[in-house]
Amino acid sequence: MVIVKRKTLSFSERLYLPEIVRGLSITFRKMFAKRVTRQYPEERLETTEVTRGQPRLVVNEDDSIACVSCGLCEAACPAYAITIDGQETDRFIEREPERFDIDMLRCILCGFCEEACPKDAIYMSDELELADYSRAALIYDIEKLKRPKSALEQRIGYVNKINQRWQTPSSTS
Amino acid sequence: MTKIILNGREVDADPEQPLIHACHTAGTDVPHYCYHPGLSPVGSCRICQVEVRMNAEAPPRVMVACRTPISEGMIVDTDAAPAHAARKECLEFLLKNHPLDCPICDKAGECTLQDYSFDEGQGAGRTVEPRRKLEKRKDLGDVIVLDQERCILCSRCVRFMDEIPKTPQLVVSQRGADSVIETFMDRPLTGNYQGNLADVCPVGALTLKPFRFKARVWNLQKSASTCAECSRGCSITTEVLRNGELKRFRPRANPDVNGYWMCDTGRFAFEHANAPERLAGAALRNGQGWTAVHPIDALEVARDMLVTHGTALLVASPFLTVEEGAALVALGRELGARPMFVSPPKNELADDLLHTGDPCPNRRGLTELGIDGLSAHDILAKIAEHESVVLVGERVAELMGPEALAALPAALRMIVFDSHLLDVPAADVCIGVPIHVERAGTWINIDGHAGRIAHARPAPAGVQLLTRSLEGLADLLTSETRAR
Repeated sequence: MVIVKRKTLSFSERLYLPEIVRGLSITFRKMFAKRVTRQYPEERLETTEVTRGQPRLVVNEDDSIACVSCGLCEAACPAYAITIDGQETDRFIEREPERFDIDMLRCILCGFCEEACPKDAIYMSDELELADYSRAALIYDIEKLKRPKSALEQRIGYVNKINQRWQTPSSTS
Repeated sequence: MTKIILNGREVDADPEQPLIHACHTAGTDVPHYCYHPGLSPVGSCRICQVEVRMNAEAPPRVMVACRTPISEGMIVDTDAAPAHAARKECLEFLLKNHPLDCPICDKAGECTLQDYSFDEGQGAGRTVEPRRKLEKRKDLGDVIVLDQERCILCSRCVRFMDEIPKTPQLVVSQRGADSVIETFMDRPLTGNYQGNLADVCPVGALTLKPFRFKARVWNLQKSASTCAECSRGCSITTEVLRNGELKRFRPRANPDVNGYWMCDTGRFAFEHANAPERLAGAALRNGQGWTAVHPIDALEVARDMLVTHGTALLVASPFLTVEEGAALVALGRELGARPMFVSPPKNELADDLLHTGDPCPNRRGLTELGIDGLSAHDILAKIAEHESVVLVGERVAELMGPEALAALPAALRMIVFDSHLLDVPAADVCIGVPIHVERAGTWINIDGHAGRIAHARPAPAGVQLLTRSLEGLADLLTSETRAR
């Protein structure tokens, strides 16, 4: 049990009006001070190369998808957000995803998929917003996830820079 | 049995078998690509090198375990530094031209080359020359696709074709660095055992067309089961993808029945198991069509029909397990009828390796329970003499012939336990049953070997086990007789 002591009010406080004036003076002062809140939909958060937004799939310059549906991101995903089914292609890269679903409600934006990907096909984009009218609409399919490589260039450059720290010159041969 | 000393421990070894067999029997892992317990050893991949001393005084030698015969008192060290070094060098050569396409390769996850290079291989290649460029998608007939770049030339596939179906079709052609696996004049492979090539291939060079790029192997849930396609009852593994879809049947080593192999008929027999439109729960015929009901209500209607309409004919499916057969015999005792099962004619798939040509996987089990096999024609003749008939088990309607069943008079009372709704005029009650990958049980094969079938995936919602349905019907009949 907590005992709250009632404050004994002074004479001017008991008069009521001086305190109202004091309060309003704070209000008026703040009206002209610098704002600390962000006007969100109009003023968006700045994103940098370090921003880990929602994962997106890379589409190469020749319009083919970089993903080969190897399933490593699916296996690495700690939230079981990714589901992949593969299929055969006519291209030199023989395999591509037939279905690539990410349940954005499950995704925790951890970036394990990006780290697991051996084909540099999935990157954390700078897209952060997630709102819709149904849960089903938030399970993103392959068409919703595809982004041209140019749109992800900033993050790709950053990840490559980080990876160079432990890459030896010959390990890619 | 001969005694050898393996890694400082005295173990028994079969002198008829090579050293690697003794190592594996004793639980010591020795990597191997060209060696397969079901094929003759050739020692071409050299990855199974271990250090051997013929006796305590002899100097140590690094030898291939798959081509070293067992001799009394030999001292084997699989973990010696020279053996590790030899295996590592060997692995570097095997990977010299192997493409780094594990993300694409279907074998990834069950590939011993991948596993072993992860364990002991080196992180970076030292090679400066470009890798060999060969055919990535060589069509070898209806079942197999060959990727010559991935091939490590272990020649298991060549030996399999020579030794098991005894139809030599594959060959290592060219010489040295140009060696490739080929068929003569690029003819397609033939025979009913081609699927095993994808199993024996230690890498992803030979892949199955129906499985190609369909699933990652670590996503498949595996259960030990028995093949349903003939009375041999080969031991198999059923592999199910996350949504309950069957993706593969693969042979499971069982020296008493099938060795390491299975035929393509059984291997690719999962398509009908993936078919949609299953009968969930039960259905009753009303005036125009069918009403979905709970199986217990359907069983009560069935009980009333059987009580009022004379002696029923009990016709079983040959896919019934022993347990279900026993429940059916008990039901027959209640009804005063002796059940029989539909026995389709022998098909032309029989060979002298595994396939018996008899499509009844539990013929022996059912016969021993006193359920005899009759042809569909004979059973139809018997149905004509009865007022009511009970069809029991998956695919029973298919084996009886849907046209013949459709021609039966509507006055006949027919109770059907099947996986699909049988929409014929004679049918009155249909009760759903689980198919063979959705229930556990026992099939007795032609040689009397009991094969367990496994519950690999759940049955559709509302479907209850056939044993439960049959026992429920028998119980209802018992209480009916007591009430009277």
